[in-house]
Amino acid sequence: MVHTVENEWKKGSAELLILALLENQPRHGYDIAGLIETRSQGTLHFHVASLYPLLYRLEKCGWIQGRWVEKPEQRRRRYYRLTAEGQRVLVSQRRKWQEFAGAVSRIAGVENA
Amino acid sequence: MLEWKHEVAKRLEGTNLRAEREAEIIEEISSHVQNRYDQLRAEGATDEEACREVAAELDSSDLQVEVRDSENTVIQDPVPAGAATTGRWISDFLQDLRYAGRILRKSPGFTAVAALTLALGIGANTAVFTIIDTLLLNPLPVEKISELVALNTTQAKMTTQSGELRLLSFLNVKDFRERTHSFSSLAAHSNPMAITMTDAAEPHRIFVEVVTANYFDVLGIRPFMGRFFLSSEDSTPGTGAVVVLGYTAWQGRFGGSSDILGRTIKLNNTPFTIIGVGPKGFKGLYAVFGPDMWVPSMMAEQILPAQQRNALSDRAIPLFTGVGRLGPGLSLAQARAEMNIVAAALEKEYPDTDQGQSVTLRPLTEAAYGPERQPLLFGGALLMAIVGLVLLIACSNVANLLLSRAAVRRQEIAVRMALGAGRSRLMRQLLTESVLLGLLGGVLGLLFGYVGCRFLWSFRPAEYAQNLADLRINASVFGFAFAVSVLTGLVFGIVPAWRSSRTSVSEVLKEETRTVGRSRGRISLANTLLAGQVAISLVLLVVAALFLRSIQHEYTIDPGFETKHLALFMLYPGQAGYDRARTEQFYKQARDRIGSVPGISSVSWASNLPLWGRKETGVIIEGQELRKKSEAISAVVNTVDFDYFSTLGIPFFEGRDFTQDDRDVSTPVAIINDTMAAKYWPNQDPLGKRLQPRGKKFLQIVGVVKTINYQTLGETPQACVYIPLRQNYSDSMILYVRTERDPSTILAAVQEEIRGLDPALPTDDMRTGTKVIDQALWWSKIGVGLLGVFGLLALGLASVGLYGIMAYSVNQRRREIGVRMALGAGQAEVSLFIVRQGMTVVFSGIALGVVLAFLLGRALSRFLYGVSASDPLSLGGASLVLLVVAFLACYLPARSASRVDPLVALRGT
Repeated sequence: MVHTVENEWKKGSAELLILALLENQPRHGYDIAGLIETRSQGTLHFHVASLYPLLYRLEKCGWIQGRWVEKPEQRRRRYYRLTAEGQRVLVSQRRKWQEFAGAVSRIAGVENA
Repeated sequence: MLEWKHEVAKRLEGTNLRAEREAEIIEEISSHVQNRYDQLRAEGATDEEACREVAAELDSSDLQVEVRDSENTVIQDPVPAGAATTGRWISDFLQDLRYAGRILRKSPGFTAVAALTLALGIGANTAVFTIIDTLLLNPLPVEKISELVALNTTQAKMTTQSGELRLLSFLNVKDFRERTHSFSSLAAHSNPMAITMTDAAEPHRIFVEVVTANYFDVLGIRPFMGRFFLSSEDSTPGTGAVVVLGYTAWQGRFGGSSDILGRTIKLNNTPFTIIGVGPKGFKGLYAVFGPDMWVPSMMAEQILPAQQRNALSDRAIPLFTGVGRLGPGLSLAQARAEMNIVAAALEKEYPDTDQGQSVTLRPLTEAAYGPERQPLLFGGALLMAIVGLVLLIACSNVANLLLSRAAVRRQEIAVRMALGAGRSRLMRQLLTESVLLGLLGGVLGLLFGYVGCRFLWSFRPAEYAQNLADLRINASVFGFAFAVSVLTGLVFGIVPAWRSSRTSVSEVLKEETRTVGRSRGRISLANTLLAGQVAISLVLLVVAALFLRSIQHEYTIDPGFETKHLALFMLYPGQAGYDRARTEQFYKQARDRIGSVPGISSVSWASNLPLWGRKETGVIIEGQELRKKSEAISAVVNTVDFDYFSTLGIPFFEGRDFTQDDRDVSTPVAIINDTMAAKYWPNQDPLGKRLQPRGKKFLQIVGVVKTINYQTLGETPQACVYIPLRQNYSDSMILYVRTERDPSTILAAVQEEIRGLDPALPTDDMRTGTKVIDQALWWSKIGVGLLGVFGLLALGLASVGLYGIMAYSVNQRRREIGVRMALGAGQAEVSLFIVRQGMTVVFSGIALGVVLAFLLGRALSRFLYGVSASDPLSLGGASLVLLVVAFLACYLPARSASRVDPLVALRGT
């Protein structure tokens, strides 16, 4: 794995992205990966090898919870939903991210301007 | 998809996750990867491109490290929402139960064998528990038995008979009752006494207890029908001719007729009115033997034999055992202390009768067994231990069966895990299965146990069947069977379930269906179980053999008297209302008439039944008067008519037999046995010496006879005094008839003669000499029978187990055997190889078993007669039987193994 700046950023924001995507409805891993890619218009990629370990970590923390769901004529899938604890974490991370992003853009914006 | 699973599994190797978690991750990630692959293909990528792309994504980070790290994340919330709730448990359990039912139905052969095996074990346990529950745990259906105390006296200052419990006289009971405050109520009951009941002109011998009116109230029991005694019915001697029937007697002797109350029956020729029927299951206060009915104490005179007629007014006549209910908050020790003071006062007031008598209080639960308590407790414990071992063998058999099935079910279990079944969940499922199997065995076992009990109890002597305790299959028996079944299910299920749930999914899914060499651990566990089974079976067989040899020896014991050509008739002319003159005339007439019946060689009368001799204390020997009470002499005292010794075949050492001339008016005489002669007249001629049994005149010794067994078979020689019937009137005697041939052929003729003399005398109480010996050995025979049955059961179960495991192991190793044969091994060599392997296990089991059996035999040695614990015949015989059976169990699979076609085996079909 190449340690690029982009990778580090991605790591820092990954938790927030996943929690945010689960805020309104439960989703399975493939869905999450797809949404991150489409909504970031291809900027952000979450490959299978890093997505799932992250999901498992969030689950271990008790922020999200997975459950196998079977639908007719489909492979069963594990859907993750946000727990109450996860909801609290999401609110706090979102605020911190806004503060951080605001600070970065103020500095970087001023410098670049 | 399977391909992707494989790819993912490969990348997860070394994460050391729990199997079910690993399976879950593999499924989730491979599903994602498959979707990704499908998407790439849909976008126009070739299979090769798509695969390369997906593989690259899979390898974009180190999956193994990432997963391991994330799985090791510290849990922040210790109770994840939605974890196991009661509701989930119940629904899971029902699901497990349904699934278990389906699985068991799917393999009826396995289910039948396993359930039957368990049923044999559980049935044996239930049967033994029923006996123990009836006789030991729950013997008397009375209220709050722990508050009840039995009251007797002991001749405290006598060393020769120390500890022997004696009955209380009526007057002493009365005084105790009036002077004590320890008991909230105190009643008394006699021992069961044989009397004559006449109902519709038919005389029968039955057992009756004389009790105080408050007897049933003290025990806190209610009549099944009618009422119990009123205190007014027990206040004036000779009034209150009422009787309470026992439930069994009502059922058995009166056909359970509902209009029994108010009916009049004659007891010893006195009319009594039936006023009530006792509760079901209550047969007096002795756990083993009980009366048919109860009469109030004031009717004692009408019921008792001539010698005890004054029981209500004579303090010297022992009759009762007291039974008291401790007052609230009082302990047995407190009651004991108070009663000792009362007893001491009585001793002072009535020195003639009460001197040296101290009072003994025992919990009723202890008193309920009398002298049989120790052997009963021991026998119960031994039997329980033995059936416990039989059940263990059954469990280990079923465990072995489950283990071999587990091998077959590996795939199924792996798939279930791959589909997300957790390990604990899976174990729960497997245990549900085994417990269900256990319960199935339990239901069958309860049935076996019931049948077994009925069968066993059908062996009790028919004469006493109504008076012996009834086996009760009650709630505690059901509870026991249920608990044993569940426990059994857990015991045999836990090891196989634990092993199965350790299945590694990726390994099994990767593995081919053929499981060569994978079951080595299983086989060695099975072998350990087998060796244990062999050892336990051997122990049981040896114990059974030891007791069998012991009883064989007991049967060869010479009791000292003729048994093969002897018949006995118990006759109670006094109970038919005869006075002394008529009774004496009856004795003479019966002798004469029966003596002339063809096939009868001699006839006599005696007061004691063989092996039921009663010992009396206080025999005084002239010239050796007592210095101290503690030197009191005790001896068996038997009243006999002339010709008694020739009828029984007891030889004279010196002197003469009693004759017709030994009458009231002539010198009182006695005959003693050689044991007594040697003990009290060592190196002297006892003839002409005098002795005095308690309450009698001095008697002159006119003869010395050989010592026989008086109380038990093979007893240590006891002193005995015989006194002549004509000088010691008794209104009930036993007719001894010596026959020329099999005595059973003349029984009817003798009965006919007695009926000819008086049809009102019951003649149904008779037995042959052989029967007397049989009855004396009844308990031993039952014990040996049970031990034998359980020993064989253990042997059967163990050999089935051995056969099963050998057959399984041969089947598993067909390839190996094929290779050996392909490389030139002959059929004989292969058989030998397999047999040797099986027999190694058997031999180690036998070695262990011999040591255990020897140790157990040592512990049991005081219950063995004429056999030592290391009896080579028992040890060797049992080992040999086991070896032969085990050899067969090994040889049959070995023979089929040697017929393996190497080609077929190597192809692995």
